[in-house]
Order: sequence, then structure tokens, then C-alpha cells
Amino acid sequence: MAAGRSMEWVKGVKGVILDMCGVLYDSGEGGGQPIPGSVEAIERLMGSGLIVRFCTNETQNTREKFVQKLQRMGFNISVSHVFSPAPALLRILRERGLQPHLLVHDDLMAEFDGVEMTSPNCVVIGDAADRFSYQNLNEAFGVLIGLEKPILFSLGQGRYYKETDGLKLDVGGFMKALEYACDVQAEVVGKPSAEFFQSVLRDMDLQPHEVVMVGDDLVNDVGGAQRCGMRGVQVRTGKYRPSDEQHPSVKADAHMDDLAAAVDAILISDL
Amino acid sequence: MATRRRLKAVLIDLSGTLHIEDAAVPGAQEALARLRQAPVTVKFVTNTTKECKRTLFERLRQLNFDLQEQEIFTSLTAARNLLEQRAVRPLLLVEDSALEDFTGLETSDPNAVVIGLAPNHFNYQTLNKAFQLILDGAPLIAIHKARYYKRKDGLALGPGPFVTGLEYATDTRATVVGKPKKAFFLEALRDLNCSPDEAVMIGDDARDDVGGAQNTGMLGILVKTGKYRHGDEDKIKPPPHLTCDTFPDAVNHILEHLVESK
Repeated sequence: MAAGRSMEWVKGVKGVILDMCGVLYDSGEGGGQPIPGSVEAIERLMGSGLIVRFCTNETQNTREKFVQKLQRMGFNISVSHVFSPAPALLRILRERGLQPHLLVHDDLMAEFDGVEMTSPNCVVIGDAADRFSYQNLNEAFGVLIGLEKPILFSLGQGRYYKETDGLKLDVGGFMKALEYACDVQAEVVGKPSAEFFQSVLRDMDLQPHEVVMVGDDLVNDVGGAQRCGMRGVQVRTGKYRPSDEQHPSVKADAHMDDLAAAVDAILISDL
Repeated sequence: MATRRRLKAVLIDLSGTLHIEDAAVPGAQEALARLRQAPVTVKFVTNTTKECKRTLFERLRQLNFDLQEQEIFTSLTAARNLLEQRAVRPLLLVEDSALEDFTGLETSDPNAVVIGLAPNHFNYQTLNKAFQLILDGAPLIAIHKARYYKRKDGLALGPGPFVTGLEYATDTRATVVGKPKKAFFLEALRDLNCSPDEAVMIGDDARDDVGGAQNTGMLGILVKTGKYRHGDEDKIKPPPHLTCDTFPDAVNHILEHLVESK
């Protein structure tokens, strides 16, 4: 559906931040599938003169491996343009002198090479998928409940994401489980944390009102971006559900069928 | 006592009130026998997610308590009754040892999710199955929401965290059926044809037993055995109708003050 009447959101746009899973591709068997039209949409964006960055809470792999996967799918993107939670977390751990107990995906472990972990004084939880067993969660719980000052970091707080064979639990539910068990509040690293978005804006050297965020997660992509002063557009791909358009508190600046449609709208206004 | 209606039923907690692990509270069997001579109905109520009624019954019989299996009402029973009332087919995330209390219920093609303490089922694959069912509209029923429990090797996660996680992921609220929920106490009284103001609860857990019962309109008697800790009686509002040393003392009070003499 063309957002002909309410094209306010494209005026004065100088930069675009894109979510990845659910916007560029859907994850699943064999690493996933590009969403139709997305590869070509990225090409057009990259050649447009707009400043483009990618923001993902994807933590099932290192940033490098993740970008390689997307390049194999045909996406023209480079690691330096991709922002993900793990590098942000590493900075925080260093700044605060923290040693993590990790409950993360096997393939993310490489991001923590060289990090001291012999005496954990905090717990880090990521999208661990099959590693979310009772035993592993109990182990993380045991570390937290034994700390005088329990510190829990969650890489994102998404409720679920879309894989090719259906919706799957994301890290958020497991974060809430540990919060409830230990009566603590997790510190979220990644979307929708303001610090995370601001670090991307600094890299782009743009003001929030000059940037539009395109994502499939209404609360974490769109809501998070809007709270920082950016515009937020939800695409009807990935984990989008029709009920999102009646959300009680988050109202997207626009709904677009997919990334290709969103890019059409952005580039038309550019002419 | 004047404003209350005649006492018709006495609900009694099990672990910590009638027995501590494998030892009966001294004098409890005899006190129960005396209570049964009064014109009141007795029911035994407990939160459990792992033990079926038969196991609890056998333990109490071995300790020489005089009771029938059908006098026992557990959080598992409460869950079962709710499933029957709603005519739904459950995905049971419940330990094998507790499945017996759900026999007879149709479980193929589930359209409801029941969560108890089930470490073997709390893996990503099964939790995803539960998640997808709830997202499709299946009600989420929690036996109870304990944060953790004590194991030999330390503290371990209870069902509460997993229920909370699923509530968040699906943006829904679970129906919790165990103590201290009103629904649990009301359900326990339902087949006794008895309203809350005609009943009294005896237990060792100030919040879950006494607080929950009083919140439903029953009288509550707190016993200082089991998990009782000094000062527990001050932690609930209103305070317990009575705080006394043991179950036999509670029975004495009931027989002397709450039961109408004929």
C-alpha cells in the first residue's frame, strides 16, 4: 500500500539505518534466504549518496562471519557499516572491569577471544538458541544468585524472530526468566538501547531527525529509534504481524510492504 | 466469632504442617483423628508440580495419617480441573511423575499449555513449541510461579522464570492455579459446598497458605513448623487469625472456639 498521503517521514532524510534479519533476509536452514527485492534495494541505497548503516541484534555469529554470509547472498555491505551488540558489550566489560559468564551461541564465542573469564562477576545472555537448556540457564542463574551485586547483560531483548520454518523465541524471554529468578534488571546492549543507536549516529555524523530507521520489530527497531529522535518505519516482512499496526504505544512513522518499497519511497523524495 | 457462619471445612497443608520430610509432626495423627469427630469436612491442600496424588497419599498413610486419596487437592488437581472446565487439550510441560494426575485428558493436537517444574522439558525445542501454541491463542496455565527451590546441590530454577519468559515473548498473562491464588482455595472448597467464610486453613507458609486463604475470605492459622521463620506472622495483612506452635494446637483451637458445640 503506497503511503502517498503521509510521506512526511521521507523529507530531509540524509541517512538510513537498516535492521537486517527480517528486512534484508529471513534466517533459517542453510543460513537463510534474502527477502525478494532487498539485494537490489541495498544496491540502490548504496549508490544514492545517503549515509547507510546496518544495525543488528544478531548474535548467533561474529560480525565478520555474519557479514560474509550476507555477502554470499548477494548483499553489497562491509563490516565497518554493521553495528552489533557484541563489540559494544566488550567495550562495556573493559570499561567496568567485568568478567563474564557467557550464555551465548557457540558461534559468537570467538568475539570473546582474549576476554578474561576465570572469575565471572556478571552474566551475559545472547541469542543462544539450542544452548537455552535448563542446565545452562540454571548455571547462569547460579552465578547471578551467588554474586553480591548481580549484573546481567542481555544482547538485545527481542521477543521472537522469524525463521523460514516459523517464529522462534529470541533472547528476551530468557532475559526475563533470569530477571524474575534473581529479582534483577538486565542491562540491554544493542537495540533498543539509546546508547547503541547514538553510537551509530555518531559514526554517521548526522542528527537523529535526519535519519530514518527501517526494521521489522516495532518495539525494538521502530520504537527504539523514535525514542532517540529518529524516524521509524516498519516493514511488513520478517517478524511483522498485522496486530503491530494497532500497538497501544508505538506508532510507526510509516508501514511499508518491504525494504524495496521503503527504498522506493526514500529515493523518490530525493529526486 | 459472632459474625462468621458456622465452620464447615478445614483445609490442611501437608509438608511442613502435618509432616517434615519423612517424619510426622508429633501428635498430628491423633489431632487429625479428633478433628474428624467434629462436624467438619477435612481437605488436604498443597502446591506440588512433581508428585501425583497417589504418591502424596502413600507417604501420609505410611506416617499413619487417616485419610482418603480423594481428600487431597493439589495445584496439579487445580490445573486439571481448569483444563476440563475449559475443554482444552494440553501440552503438558510437567514431570513424568506428575502425569498420572492428568490421565484421561486428550493431549494430541494441543490447544493449551500447562507449565510445572519440568527441567527435562525446559529445552529450546519444547519451549518454542509452547511459545508457538500460545502465540496461536492457546491459554498458558502455570501450576505455580516459584522463582527457585532448594535442591541437594543448591538452588535451582523453578517454573516461575519460564512462565515469565513465555508471558513476555507472547505478550500474554498466565493463569496461575496454585497457592496463594484465590482460584486455588475456591476450587478446593467447590465440591464441599462451602463458602470461604465457612472454612479455615492451617499451614506453615504465611504468604501462600495463610495469606492466600484469608484473602479468599477464610480464616487462617499459621503453625510454627516447617518453613516458618520468626516474625512471619507480621509479614501478612491482616495477620493470621491465630499463630500457634503446631498442628495439634491449631486443632485444639478449632475444636474449642470455631466449631459450634451441639
